[in-house]
Amino acid sequence: MKNIRCNKETATRAVSLFLIMITALLGSGCASITTQKDPLAPYMMTQQPQQAVAALDALKLSDRDQIIYNLDKGILLRMQGDLKGSNAILEPAKAMIQKLDAVSIREQAAAVSVNDSMRSYLPPTFERAMLHVVMALNYLEQNDYNDARIEALQLNELLKQHKDDDPLPFAHYIIGLIFEANGELDDALIAYRHTYNDYHTSKAKIPLLLKQDLLRLTQHLGLEDEEKKYSEEFQLKSWPTQAALKQQGQVVAILFNGLIPRKQSEELNFLSPRDGPLHRISVPSYESRVPQISNAKLIIANNSSNTQLLDELDQHAYANLSAEMPAIITRTVARVAVKNRIVDKTRDQSPLLGLALNIATFISETADTRAWKTLPQDILIARSVVAPGNYTIEMQLENGQSKSWPDSNIAKEKIRFVSWHWANSHVTGRRPRQ
Amino acid sequence: MMRKLITGTTLLAVMLGGGLLTGCSTSVERMDTNEAIDLSGEWNDTDSRLVSEEMIRDVLSRPWIGEFNIQKHKAPAVIVGEMKNLSHEHINVATFVGDMERELINSGKVEFVASKTERGEIRDERRDQELNARSDTTKAMGQELGADFMLKGTINTILDTDGKTQVRYYQIDLTLISMIDNRKVWVGQKKIKKLVKKPGLRW
Repeated sequence: MKNIRCNKETATRAVSLFLIMITALLGSGCASITTQKDPLAPYMMTQQPQQAVAALDALKLSDRDQIIYNLDKGILLRMQGDLKGSNAILEPAKAMIQKLDAVSIREQAAAVSVNDSMRSYLPPTFERAMLHVVMALNYLEQNDYNDARIEALQLNELLKQHKDDDPLPFAHYIIGLIFEANGELDDALIAYRHTYNDYHTSKAKIPLLLKQDLLRLTQHLGLEDEEKKYSEEFQLKSWPTQAALKQQGQVVAILFNGLIPRKQSEELNFLSPRDGPLHRISVPSYESRVPQISNAKLIIANNSSNTQLLDELDQHAYANLSAEMPAIITRTVARVAVKNRIVDKTRDQSPLLGLALNIATFISETADTRAWKTLPQDILIARSVVAPGNYTIEMQLENGQSKSWPDSNIAKEKIRFVSWHWANSHVTGRRPRQ
Repeated sequence: MMRKLITGTTLLAVMLGGGLLTGCSTSVERMDTNEAIDLSGEWNDTDSRLVSEEMIRDVLSRPWIGEFNIQKHKAPAVIVGEMKNLSHEHINVATFVGDMERELINSGKVEFVASKTERGEIRDERRDQELNARSDTTKAMGQELGADFMLKGTINTILDTDGKTQVRYYQIDLTLISMIDNRKVWVGQKKIKKLVKKPGLRW
């Protein structure tokens, strides 16, 4: 009887070792990077947002990922030109964020015992800011400056609540533009000052447009000391004055360039020193991506203006992940301990069941790679001043592609907004670009 | 004994299952429209109704209306102009304007002129009547009642947030302007302050 049991134990151990080896091999050795297939990107890069919407609807995301669905659909609908539909799907995302801001006990428990994707997706600050920016642009492009102003106020409130986080110059600059479009120049200047401080804090290059805005508005509002300070720092010989702009119309063109890099799952698979269970530690990291183009032109009649880089969203994504990493690692370590303990206890009672549970816990250990993936990598901006009238507004990319808005009315003292998504980009490596 | 136990367990399971299913199904409860229910702390139907009632009560109790009656021997004709939403929320201003119109008309103290959009629609109908309606039933153009006063206003907010706690302050300013000479004959103000505490935890 003892002999039979001994043989049974030996057989079970042999089967266990074999299965563990197979699983480890399937897990691609010791360290590996797993990327997920992205069904939307190919359609976005070929300017087929309708097909991207169909692909998104076919994904059948869980309730935990409802916000991602709304955010992605909002972008895809605006790519189709359905600006009202885009805002109708984006607005509920705000209420969802408010609700999910409270920590879920159930989801946290699931995250510590299964993986981080068991939690509902809560967008980081830069994505929440982009939600307001995209909605504001949807309103602005419909000439609805008042509703865009409401988005600016909500965005401002968000930035106030996260003033110690990663600075977001794109957000403050859009707020400034919206106040300017509403004729509130003093509030616009405050937003531009914040943008200037954001660029300084993040050590990023200040776009020429912002320099001109600061000089123009400080001059117009009679803030001589401040104007002198900017004048000495920027060394610009001339800039459009507010008095000159008063007689003209303006066009602001925004290009959502490339696609924000995807998160990938970086995994470390290992066996316990003795014949113990198989472990996997899995954390998210970013790939490196490069947009196809880096410059575009805004052309109105014979007037041509080059775009300037307003912000790089990938840098905010990297900064956010770095800030999140200590919490991610803490949860991962806690999860390994929890899973290990459950597997050990089960193995003591039934080695075969313990083995099955070990494989299940191993496979379920994946990094949370969810994000708002339809966002651009860079935001480019151009501004043009023209005499009031009807024009064809054209955006021309450096690769020869172009988009036009024929018979666009540009009214005196008004700012006309247009935007375009050019998602074409490619992966250059498995590490973030610097 | 065993059978009783099985029957009891089955009944309990059915009751629990039923209870769970009921918990998952949509529930609808009809409510009194005057009942105040605050869910998110944002501007809602109660704010719209209370502000419009109080403001219109105030505007109708001020001297301008009596002075106009004495001078012109008729009730003043009022039109609601732009109600500008300068708040942090996408407030449906149309319901607020509708509430004010209702209060003004139902007071019987003023005559009320249709809004710009409504007037356009009515004029289209009159034009259509000229072409298609019987002559004895056609309503002539140029017989409209011109407004004596325009009611305009703004909705403003100030938010003060600290973590999960927020004070939401709403200020509604209404002005009644004389159409003949741009005189402001009445200025009303209503303030609403709400303390909103969001939960830190959820199930």
